[in-house]
Amino acid sequence: MDEQTLPADAGSEQVIRYYADLVWHLAFARTGSRNDADDIFQEVFLRYVRKKPHFHSEEHRKAWLIRVTVNCAKSFHESARMRKMQPLQENLVWEDPETHSLHDELQRLPPRYRDVIHLFYYEGFSTDEIADILHRKNSTVRTQLTRARAMLRAFMEEDENV
Amino acid sequence: MFKERYQKLHNSIVPDETMISNVIRRAQQYECKRRLSGWQRGLCAAAAIICVMPLAAASSTGYQVMYAVSPQATQFFTPVQRADEDQGIRMEVESASVHGNTVEVYVSFQDLEGSRIDGTTDLYDSYSIGRPFSSAGGCFFDSFDEETGKARFLISITEWENQKFTGKKVTFSVREILSGKKIYDHIDIPIELSAVPDVEKTQQVYACCGGGLDYPQDRNDFRSLVPGRAMKEFPVEGIDLTGIGYIDGSLHLQTAVCYRNGMDNHGYFYLTDKAGNIIHSNYTFGFRENEETENRIDYNNYIFDIPRDEIGQYTLHGWFSSGGTLTKGDWRVTFPIEQAP
Repeated sequence: MDEQTLPADAGSEQVIRYYADLVWHLAFARTGSRNDADDIFQEVFLRYVRKKPHFHSEEHRKAWLIRVTVNCAKSFHESARMRKMQPLQENLVWEDPETHSLHDELQRLPPRYRDVIHLFYYEGFSTDEIADILHRKNSTVRTQLTRARAMLRAFMEEDENV
Repeated sequence: MFKERYQKLHNSIVPDETMISNVIRRAQQYECKRRLSGWQRGLCAAAAIICVMPLAAASSTGYQVMYAVSPQATQFFTPVQRADEDQGIRMEVESASVHGNTVEVYVSFQDLEGSRIDGTTDLYDSYSIGRPFSSAGGCFFDSFDEETGKARFLISITEWENQKFTGKKVTFSVREILSGKKIYDHIDIPIELSAVPDVEKTQQVYACCGGGLDYPQDRNDFRSLVPGRAMKEFPVEGIDLTGIGYIDGSLHLQTAVCYRNGMDNHGYFYLTDKAGNIIHSNYTFGFRENEETENRIDYNNYIFDIPRDEIGQYTLHGWFSSGGTLTKGDWRVTFPIEQAP
């Protein structure tokens, strides 16, 4: 993503389109469900529009959106409404069996590990950056990444290190 | 490499463009409502809807705004005007519009006998949307019109498998309406956090619910504060703050809601640092007393992993919703989804 292309005074449509992939994929990584990711996506950007936070940089805006996405996902699953709902059956179609099985395996991880995996492997953040964005200790992030890798060992290469 | 495999997984699934357009439209409607008032709001809402139509998506020019309120524009909405009445409250399915693989339906509630419908009206979790096709749906509060006393909700249904909405029937039903809630919108809670004590006496509880980034997934027993008397510093009616203290190096807060009187009383705490940054709880867990009886009490515990020697740099805040009138009934309308002519 080229962050220079979003002007400082970007309107809500520009911001939503620009960060749509970031927010939606993080929500999907967290929930494993298209439907839930859609709900979280909507909540994140409605919060953005309602609060109109002031950002001192584009990095700040991006970090805010990531943090709110993680918090919305957390609240979504904690909500009384969600606890009483039966999950809808989704038939996600994957290109190949390996991708399918990776998706299934990711769903076995604790949600907080999925955030770290996604931000590290998909968004390309370092563990320091993830710790800053999520307000976690760097040691916590590294531990979560290590444990997640151990749980995903069938898909991991032996030579990967933080 | 795992990285490539993970990226391949995410690159093979993308957010639905119609869903994104719907969120943009709702954002634009909200911004318009915030900026404008009266008749201008209707104009703006119509313009925002036009913006998601393929031929008019580029920008909302003056011409499009004029076009939005012309009769041609209203062709996108199909009047439904089917209603049901129970307990003196009328539910009306007003209109529906189909765009792409999404159908949106406006439903209004009006109290014909009193003032049980207001700007805080919530359908709680008592509504259901019955439809004969695979889809995702939700119902969202849209607006309250003080002149007519109508609370309006927007039902949004997105189908998944390229089926045609047209000709299908949808049943929208509601069993409970909650209104008259009091919202404590991001209040300050005057507790000096640096004076919060280490707790000596705790109890072991089994959580009935919980969550959060650092929620321990591998167990459901927790060391909890022992509920004390309601603290007077906590101003929320219908929710008691029954404890605050440090356990094992983490700050614990505990609230209690009497289920019989509390209905949907809920909320959350958060901290802010001196720079105004918001820190949410690391996790929460809940447990109950007197379950299965009239005197059930729901306790919620909020845990913040802030070191004891740093907590004085933070202040405590919260958002809560409490009170309200619950009206039970049976409101049900079945209506066809029709493509505008």
